[in-house]
Amino acid sequence: MKKILLKTENLSKSFSSGGNLQHVLKNIDLELYQGDFTVIMGASGAGKSTLLYALSGMDTPSLGTITFGDQVISGMSQDELAVFRRDHCGFVFQQIYLIDGMSVMDNVLSAGLLVSRDRKGVLAKAKELFEAVDIPEETQKKFPTQISGGEAQRAGMVRALINSPEILFADEPTGALNSRTGLDVLDTLTRFNEMGQSIVMVTHDMRSARRGSRILYLKDGMILGECDLGRYPHGNAKPDDGERQEKLASFLAEMGW
Amino acid sequence: MGKNYLLARSNLRKAKGQTVAIIVLMFLAALMLNLWLMLSLDYRQNFDRCHDRLHAEHVTLAVDGDSDEIAGFLEDTLEADERTADYFLDSVMHMVGIFEYNGGNINSEFIFMEKEAALSRPVGKCEIVEEGSCTSGVYMPVLYQSDEIAVGRTIELSIGNQKMSYTVCGFFNSVMTGSHNCGMCGILLTKDCYRELQEAGCAPESTLCSVRLDDRTESEDYDAMLKEAVSSRYPAARTTSNTYDLVSRSRYISQMICSGIMSAMAFLILLIALVVIASNIINYIQENMKNLGALKAVGYTSRQLVSSLLMQFTGVSLLVALVGSGFSYALFPYINGMMVSQTGIPYKVRFLPVPFVLTLAVLGGAVSVVVWSASRRIGRVEPIVALRQGIQTHTFKRNHVPLEKTRVPLNPALALKTTLSGMKHNVTICITMLVLSLVAVFSGVMIENMIADMTPFLNMIVGETADSAINVEAEVEEDFLSAMQDDSRVEKVYLYHSVQLLHAGGDVLMATMADDFTKVNNQDVIIEGRFPKYDNEMAIAAKYAAEKKLNVGDEIKLTADGKEDGYLISGFVQITNNLGKDCLLTREGYERLGELQNASYYLNLADGTDIDAFNAKIEERYKDKVNATINIDATINGSVSVYVLLMKMIVAAVLVLSVLVITFVLYLLVRTIVGNKKQEYGILKALGFTTGQLIWQTALSFMPAVVISTIVGVTVCSFIINPLSVLFLKDLGIVKCTFRVPVGYNILAVAGMILVSFGIVCVLSLRIKKITPRALLAGE
Repeated sequence: MKKILLKTENLSKSFSSGGNLQHVLKNIDLELYQGDFTVIMGASGAGKSTLLYALSGMDTPSLGTITFGDQVISGMSQDELAVFRRDHCGFVFQQIYLIDGMSVMDNVLSAGLLVSRDRKGVLAKAKELFEAVDIPEETQKKFPTQISGGEAQRAGMVRALINSPEILFADEPTGALNSRTGLDVLDTLTRFNEMGQSIVMVTHDMRSARRGSRILYLKDGMILGECDLGRYPHGNAKPDDGERQEKLASFLAEMGW
Repeated sequence: MGKNYLLARSNLRKAKGQTVAIIVLMFLAALMLNLWLMLSLDYRQNFDRCHDRLHAEHVTLAVDGDSDEIAGFLEDTLEADERTADYFLDSVMHMVGIFEYNGGNINSEFIFMEKEAALSRPVGKCEIVEEGSCTSGVYMPVLYQSDEIAVGRTIELSIGNQKMSYTVCGFFNSVMTGSHNCGMCGILLTKDCYRELQEAGCAPESTLCSVRLDDRTESEDYDAMLKEAVSSRYPAARTTSNTYDLVSRSRYISQMICSGIMSAMAFLILLIALVVIASNIINYIQENMKNLGALKAVGYTSRQLVSSLLMQFTGVSLLVALVGSGFSYALFPYINGMMVSQTGIPYKVRFLPVPFVLTLAVLGGAVSVVVWSASRRIGRVEPIVALRQGIQTHTFKRNHVPLEKTRVPLNPALALKTTLSGMKHNVTICITMLVLSLVAVFSGVMIENMIADMTPFLNMIVGETADSAINVEAEVEEDFLSAMQDDSRVEKVYLYHSVQLLHAGGDVLMATMADDFTKVNNQDVIIEGRFPKYDNEMAIAAKYAAEKKLNVGDEIKLTADGKEDGYLISGFVQITNNLGKDCLLTREGYERLGELQNASYYLNLADGTDIDAFNAKIEERYKDKVNATINIDATINGSVSVYVLLMKMIVAAVLVLSVLVITFVLYLLVRTIVGNKKQEYGILKALGFTTGQLIWQTALSFMPAVVISTIVGVTVCSFIINPLSVLFLKDLGIVKCTFRVPVGYNILAVAGMILVSFGIVCVLSLRIKKITPRALLAGE
């Protein structure tokens, strides 16, 4: 039996725009499990990112509850949510969002030292992660504007993982990258998931979605359906698994993609 | 022009807060600048206007005795001097007197004139400025108009050793005899009161000689000539005189101090405003690199872009300068009211075009130059480069405080990164804090030396102070001294007597003599060399010595009563009784020139002694052999309270201004930082930094510049405040200020400025709370 990591009940989110109330998420009941690579898909405006922000504590729901373990996060203040994010979550953004004024290494350490005072331990972990994502030492000393997009996104993943988060949220992580570097990033995410890292990723890209073990399809603020793809084959085992591709395509077709 | 206007308007709309802050700084600068220019270009000139209107004299001399012989002698002397333009001789009464004013006493040589005669004098006319319905009483100089001395109220005058009581019928203006600050002070009496005073016999009949000169700069020399002539002919006659030079300076001491401080404040605030404007333009260019590139790409020239900034900042500054200058006219009547209590010359506030135009020109010119200099870099912006993220602004040459190496905790380390990557902000902070340090140290020095305890100020300005001063006729001097030595209430009694002497070939000097200068209370008046010890020595005012190029060891000739003798300069003194034309002599030294007819003694009395009662007993015992008794404490209170009040208001004003300036400068900087780092704060919040941590980081990032510049500023200013104060007080004859610098206050000031800055930055940084990670992700 999989352990429930995050659970929502009647999760709703509305925005007021020009006097009109827009319901972006509608009564979503959802459970996310430890070790899963959950992918949230849907058309533009379906509420994918809004759901991700709500699940990750970046934003608060209008109605409903979100529970992380036995912690209800939906009623937390902004500062409590900040502490929740630093202690339990990691983030990979489409726009990467490394801080321009800091070196790549400092971008990672600024997140790591926020949680741990063990400077040596954090530094060792950072170096280990940089090695894992194949970012050499000289690149670690550079500023974000001096490295490539792929390197920057992999550095962003190191930052996201530095505190060993229980769950990693990724919002269109390959959206700003070319296909080659995008593939590198997906490989890295897959590798970490294989090592037990729970991941929730928003994407509208089928190639990215195929890496997920569980696909949720969102339409008009509601989860229309879900598909269990199983763990992505690793190593040399059929990375372009046709059966997996077919299953996903058929699910998406069923959802009206 | 139309395009530039549109660009400028768009810039203003985008930066409302910044515009408001610059408006406040420029408003304050314009206000202070216009006030300073009005005070220095017109306020003092009011003296000359008034002097001309009343056909006032350049030299006034009162000589005891009103015989035809004296008048004839004076007429002959005046006629014989080709510098004389016009003169008038009048019969008056002349005596030392005291009355209560401002919680203390006014002690002066009073010239009692019959009112109608005084109003119709062809030279040195008086004018009534307020009058009641009473027909019998006195008219006081307008300087003393107050709650206690008002039309219809009764005033007690101690004249010689008699007390007279009069109804105040009104107030008058007299240029040369309207203030106790300049040697002689006129009082007008109605006919019946004048007759009554004549009959009382307490004030001797005198001749008042008022002379107008062709060249007013000759007033000191002319006065010296006239007194020398009178003392040669009538050695025993008591004389008192005034000169245009002395009066015009001594009646405008508060104007001098006030305008000095105003000018300093105006230029310091302007400096801060210019630094802030320059810093804002540089930030504007960095923040809007892409927009500037886009504008250039569509055909705007660098000149047009610079012109729009010039129009924006110079236009706003000129408009604000207009309002600030206008507002200064609302404030000026209050300053005028404060000043009149020291100058005693009524001033009518009116529009002054020259200060107004100068204020606009200085502010507009300074802002234009700064905007042009700061915005020239727009010329180097290449459209393509700017459109590509404006990479010119993101050349990070150094990773300050690398987190993998530093031992500094995370939040301070991130703050330090911000500090070290924002050197322009640091320069702005440093300049602001250095300026405010000077203001804080100045305020501390004034509080310590003038407001809390005025002894240091008095020692410097007044010279010698004691509890009581008693002037006795020479014939009872020995008995008086013996009685004082036997009196248990008297702790110390010493000769401290002033007379006028002429420096041969120079000016009239106020000579103060003592039997033994080691006895005087204020030993700090000697600023170089030593007090005179022997009869051939003298100490001379440093200001006068510098003007005449005299050195310690030089010999100068002094003349009095027709005799002349040489004296060696033993030291330089700083006494301002005669605005820096003073000297010290031993009694034996003076007696080489003349005999003292009377002598003034200063007394230190035991604590708890009622000084007025003590003085009254002396008057009772020696009757007409006592010429004057002065309660020095009360006299000082009466005379100095106006300066203390003025200083309190100045200190309060500069402290309020400082808080305003620091708030607006920090506001601009915080706004810029939070604006520039909005995305960074969003990212940090997404990573788990709380609002409190980010506010703490922002506030800490200001602290290195604030702490260093405040400590350096206050320390340096503590050392330079005395030399700087000399600049404001040099007209008084001050060449060396010895104000106590309050170390405790300065430490508190440093702590206060740092804490206030920290607090202000924390409060202003609360806008970080509005930054949410969601807004960042949503691209807001």
